[in-house]
Amino acid sequence: MANTKIDEKLQKIAKDLLESGEVSLIIGYAKGSNPQRMRPVFITKAEEAGKLSFSHYAVQDLAVFLKKPEVKKFGKIGIVVKGCDEKAVNALIQEYQISRDNIKIIGIECNGVIRQNLADKGETGVSESTVYDKCLICEEHIPVLYDFLIESEEPKLALSGNVKPYYGIEKLESMSAEEKNAFWAKEFDKCIKCYACRQACPLCYCSRCIVEKNMPQWIDTNSEETGNAQWNLIRAYHLSGRCIGCGECERACPVNIPLMLINEKMAKDVYNLFGYKSGLDINAKPVFGVFSESDFNDFIK
Amino acid sequence: MARIGVFVCWCGSNIAGTVDVEKVREEAAKIPGVVSALDYKYMCSDPGQNSLRNIIKEKNLTGIVLAACSPHMHENTFRKAAAKEGLNPYFVEIANIREQVSWVHEDKERATAKAVDLMKMMVEKVKRDRPIEDVRVPLNKKALVIGGGISGIQAALDIANGGVEVLLVEKEPSIGGRMIQLDETFPTLDCSSCIMTPKMVEANQHPNIKLYTYSEVEDISGYIGNFKIKIKKKARSVVEKDCTGCGECWNACPMHKNVKSEFNVNLSERTAIYVPFPQAVPLVPVLDRSVCLHYKKGGKCQKCFDACGPKCIDFSLQDEIIEETVGAIVASTGYDLMDTSMYGEYGYGKYKDVISGLQFERLLSASGPTEGVIKRPSDGKTPQTIVFVQCVGSRDPEKGVPYCSKVCCMYTAKHAKLFAHKVHGSQSYVFYIDIRSTSKGYEEFVRGTMEQDGAIYLRGRVSKIYEDEGKLIVKGADTLSGNQVEIAADMVVLATGVIPKKGSDKLAQMLGISYDKYGFFTESHPKLRPAESSTAGIFLAGMAQGPRDIPESVVSGSAAASKILGLFSKNEYEVEGTIANVNEATCVACFYCQRVCAYNAISKKEIKDRSGKLIKVVANVNPGLCTGCGACVNACFSKSIDVKGFMDDQIYAEIKALAV
Repeated sequence: MANTKIDEKLQKIAKDLLESGEVSLIIGYAKGSNPQRMRPVFITKAEEAGKLSFSHYAVQDLAVFLKKPEVKKFGKIGIVVKGCDEKAVNALIQEYQISRDNIKIIGIECNGVIRQNLADKGETGVSESTVYDKCLICEEHIPVLYDFLIESEEPKLALSGNVKPYYGIEKLESMSAEEKNAFWAKEFDKCIKCYACRQACPLCYCSRCIVEKNMPQWIDTNSEETGNAQWNLIRAYHLSGRCIGCGECERACPVNIPLMLINEKMAKDVYNLFGYKSGLDINAKPVFGVFSESDFNDFIK
Repeated sequence: MARIGVFVCWCGSNIAGTVDVEKVREEAAKIPGVVSALDYKYMCSDPGQNSLRNIIKEKNLTGIVLAACSPHMHENTFRKAAAKEGLNPYFVEIANIREQVSWVHEDKERATAKAVDLMKMMVEKVKRDRPIEDVRVPLNKKALVIGGGISGIQAALDIANGGVEVLLVEKEPSIGGRMIQLDETFPTLDCSSCIMTPKMVEANQHPNIKLYTYSEVEDISGYIGNFKIKIKKKARSVVEKDCTGCGECWNACPMHKNVKSEFNVNLSERTAIYVPFPQAVPLVPVLDRSVCLHYKKGGKCQKCFDACGPKCIDFSLQDEIIEETVGAIVASTGYDLMDTSMYGEYGYGKYKDVISGLQFERLLSASGPTEGVIKRPSDGKTPQTIVFVQCVGSRDPEKGVPYCSKVCCMYTAKHAKLFAHKVHGSQSYVFYIDIRSTSKGYEEFVRGTMEQDGAIYLRGRVSKIYEDEGKLIVKGADTLSGNQVEIAADMVVLATGVIPKKGSDKLAQMLGISYDKYGFFTESHPKLRPAESSTAGIFLAGMAQGPRDIPESVVSGSAAASKILGLFSKNEYEVEGTIANVNEATCVACFYCQRVCAYNAISKKEIKDRSGKLIKVVANVNPGLCTGCGACVNACFSKSIDVKGFMDDQIYAEIKALAV
């Protein structure tokens, strides 16, 4: 497939950054062996910039690589991001995991990425019914923070309103506690404790996860009912007010647990209770690190 | 192998009346690792403590559980007893079976079961205790007092007299605070200047006190024993050491009649170069650059410079930053009066003769704008009828503040009394809600104002004040007779409520001390630690804590001073070793711990290898600041922070003990 104009712009920016020495590594997308897929690529030499590409198959959140020690050691890094992924970069800056000075953000205006399972079946068009739910509620088609911006040449995503994103949340909210419990018990029963959700998450950057703490062992490691619920719930708690909604955990889950229903519900509750959305401002204080007298406290009886 | 001793206390019948102590002892004896179980009438008594010490020796105990009263009562007693036998004092754990069991339950069987559970939890905890060493923090024996009003001066003098160096920082050009603005003081009517100025002079001349007036604390960091402070000494434009305070400069200043005097609460004018009042300490003028013609007109005017004999006026002087290290701090920033503009119906600011209580003080004062003759601000005539309105802003949750400002009842009684003394044949009316006169001699004083000085007290609120033919018509209710009253007054004095000094909330944030929703500094304990703030090494005094009168302010200043002298009587400050501890191997430096720490105890620490290369950044706990509250533990995603003595595995073991 030939380079698109976007690819050319991307490659030019990357080449300049590497040649000038402003960065020593660029994390971006390259075409996959399957034309309906993109794969992450790590470019360290200007002459390799030609590998870079972008399309509506670029589903991965590349910010996940920023937490890796083998990536961190490059120091100054450039990264290609969609609006959703860029929020992860912001959250990592907010939480001191990377420094703004050490990162060059190559933002791409994105009108939605095609669900991977549909793309694999041959879907080629971006539409309401082919993109992820996160694309339908996306408010950051243009990243909130960038050093370079590559504008889209595709038409904007048309929304008819007939497709309800994260419809499952509404359904869950209407359920009784017992029904909710039963719903999640069934979902978590599938969990095989592979921790792919954690590995795919750009904000799960702890070098030792709480699940690995064994003095004491707070979370049962075997994949049975208690341990599965403990793991999935504690991950949801650890991401509440932090999750930027890239959906990589759910995409990575080999047993299709609808993890984004928990994460989006948490994000919704955090916004309703504290007026905070994560990943929008690198100077904002993360909501769980601040106390305000106006914080709600009706739970104290 | 653990060798645990369990001691079950009867506390007379306090515990034994509701808990089957023998059963608790029997259950204890069954727990693996428990080598000795005993019950005794009073473990805290000397024989009780001796048996504890003997068993430590005999059985070579590695840990002790006391099933007894609250650790607040006797944890220290038993820790000391254990330490005497060479056991680390933190190997003593208390299962509180009095406050948490016998005193709150009636059913003996179930209370006993709960007592057994609590005891079992502590046995599992003590098995996992590690020795903890108390932290010793060296003390810089120098104190900082912020605010040079009566409480700050008292604190500074007491500390200085105890042989400790003090820095006294005052924002205004002179020390003296609010008290020096007052005329005579209730209930003895001694004149404020007469009793205050000697203290001000003493503070200025004391060899142990370094005075920084016209200065502000700009930055504070550090912790008890080692606070690093930055003081901004604002440019006076006058070289202090050369100035004789002769007054030629302010007499020469062409800016007279242009600037309202802050000290006289806008009732008179001052010059651009000025001393706030004649008895100012230090008696060195300040040049107010915001109004001075020299600065406004590009250096043309230098009349003060020309008039100055010793030529100590220097227009080029700059603000100076002074850095100091102190071991303890007194925050005594005082108060302001509430803005009464929300009481539009009282006409403050609209009618010249509606004034605040503090303005009336200045009218009464012999050194005030009228030299002590009561004159109306509007036409200078002496008023014959004055209406005093109490609780303006105070006890008014709707428009003002819900609290009582405490001093207004008394100063209003004093105002009415002094008015009667100064203007014979005059009449005063006082609108009040309640009269609060509870200190020594106060009630008699108020009675005297009513009975000897003829003030008419009306219980009720004023609804409206308006001007009519040179009189102020005061409409209000007399709720005791049930009548509406209307009084034609020559002047109205509002007993305005007090609020914390402007900016005290910012100072509190800088100091890391807590304050209430109004901005008053809060005590570490409202009853038992009234002089301490929530942060070790920072003490509180005066009205910055809440409304109080002069004797109380003096007492609080002395209390803060005595706390500091006590602290400085040792060379080191001992902090309980139960503080947070970071696992540097697993910390990922997200610093949520730092964000949630209320005590600024967490900082960033760089770990470097031998060649100086940075390996990683981790959280670091300052033992001088950490109180062991555990907020950081909750905030840590990877569980890389623990509080010593309350380690994760201990808490887990306690929970498991309950489940079994």
